[in-house]
Amino acid sequence: MYRKQVRRRRAVLVLLVGASLVLLTSTFGGGGGPFLTFQHGVATALGPLEEGANRALKPARDLVNWFHETFQARGENDQLKAEVRSLAIRKAKYEQALGENRHFRNLLQLDGSSAVAAYKPVTARIIGRSPTVWYSTVTLDVGSGAGVQVNDPIVTGDGLVGRVSAVTRGTSEVTLITDHTSAVSAKVLPDGPEGVVEPEAGNPNVLLLDFIDRSAKIHQGQLVVTAGWSNGQISSAYPYGLRLGRITQANSGVGQTYQRVALRAFADLRGMDYVQVLTHGPKRPGDGQ
Amino acid sequence: MIVTRKIALRIALILLAAVILQVSFFSYLSLFGSIPDIVPVVVAILGLLGGAVLGAVAGFVAGFLLDSVLLQTLGVSSLALLAIGYMAGRYREGYEISSALAPPLMVGILTLLYAALFSALQLMLGVSTPVSLAIVRDVVVKGLLGTLLALFTYPLVRRILRPALLDAAHGARRRARIRPAAAVRRRLRRRRARTTARAVGASGRPG
Repeated sequence: MYRKQVRRRRAVLVLLVGASLVLLTSTFGGGGGPFLTFQHGVATALGPLEEGANRALKPARDLVNWFHETFQARGENDQLKAEVRSLAIRKAKYEQALGENRHFRNLLQLDGSSAVAAYKPVTARIIGRSPTVWYSTVTLDVGSGAGVQVNDPIVTGDGLVGRVSAVTRGTSEVTLITDHTSAVSAKVLPDGPEGVVEPEAGNPNVLLLDFIDRSAKIHQGQLVVTAGWSNGQISSAYPYGLRLGRITQANSGVGQTYQRVALRAFADLRGMDYVQVLTHGPKRPGDGQ
Repeated sequence: MIVTRKIALRIALILLAAVILQVSFFSYLSLFGSIPDIVPVVVAILGLLGGAVLGAVAGFVAGFLLDSVLLQTLGVSSLALLAIGYMAGRYREGYEISSALAPPLMVGILTLLYAALFSALQLMLGVSTPVSLAIVRDVVVKGLLGTLLALFTYPLVRRILRPALLDAAHGARRRARIRPAAAVRRRLRRRRARTTARAVGASGRPG
């Protein structure tokens, strides 16, 4: 009797491990066929439940986060005061530069519209989040029914958040710029070099700007925006000029071919509740990053 | 644990609630630099209450639901969760849980193991970006938060599944055997009190 139980237990374990490995190998890297269809079906069916729970639990979530943020805010207060003083000086310089920019644009007869203006923004609510530091993904309450497509850029008022990586009829999954699979081509302003912004896996608070020429001079506080490159065959999923972050640490590693600097994202990736999906963007060659 | 259809339905609802709560509530919280993870806690508790087979099946199903809801690569969470569900069940089958603190501590250790296993799987699948040492801190904090979560989740899940638990049924039978005796004792006490009151009333009357 006991032996039979042991055999049954082992058989169940082997069966489940086998099933997990089949699922893993068939859906890894975006493949999957019937499993993927089934997964999308489950996600669509559970979408409304997720949305309802998200709305119902918001007050409780806000209460817990309020305690956490109150502790954090005390420490940040002095740091922000110093930042405001330095920004006031910088603002005066930027206003002057803005005036000059308008003047030159008029001279060149450009329309002055930014790259984002070419998109049709769709406002979406975040209804789910990934629980691990390995996957920085969020689920939105809009899907292909609202015109959302894979690779559409996601922004907030503060800057770039990520891009759509999977879509069902009523929901979509967004891979945030802090996900270990994310890489965004970026440019240091005003006239700095271009590189690739990627996260440090397991630490969603830090972004790294990698593959910068060692000779390029980069300073703390410089602004980083999306580069929006295109080589005629493939192009970045993001348009030029979306705000990414500010450089916090600029020291080139000794003996390394490229320079790698740390930056802090503008968008509050943990605290955001609503985002904008930039849909129906201009046709770009390819669909890469 | 005796798993009838009703109990299976309850277990399925517990798992569904855990997954929905995880993605809509717990994933938004940031405590000590980590995110509390309720799903491995619930899977470990089910393993501790129901044994290895139930723990493994619950882990697989919870992992599949979690990966489906988040549209992530299927199988990663299932593999890690079924492992800890199975381990929790084997612990329950091998040792007697006598202390009230044993389940939360065991759940904490298993949550830590889950986080470590999940990280190992991710590293095996390949990570192109630099890996931070903050992962070690995340794994440890997840284990501690798992212990805290288990302090109130374990009694709750146990209460929901009480009709199926063999030790709870044994306790209920024992209480049922005691209850008539206590009731009889109470009735006798009341009758004695009434008789005494009547006797006092009779002797106090004027003759």
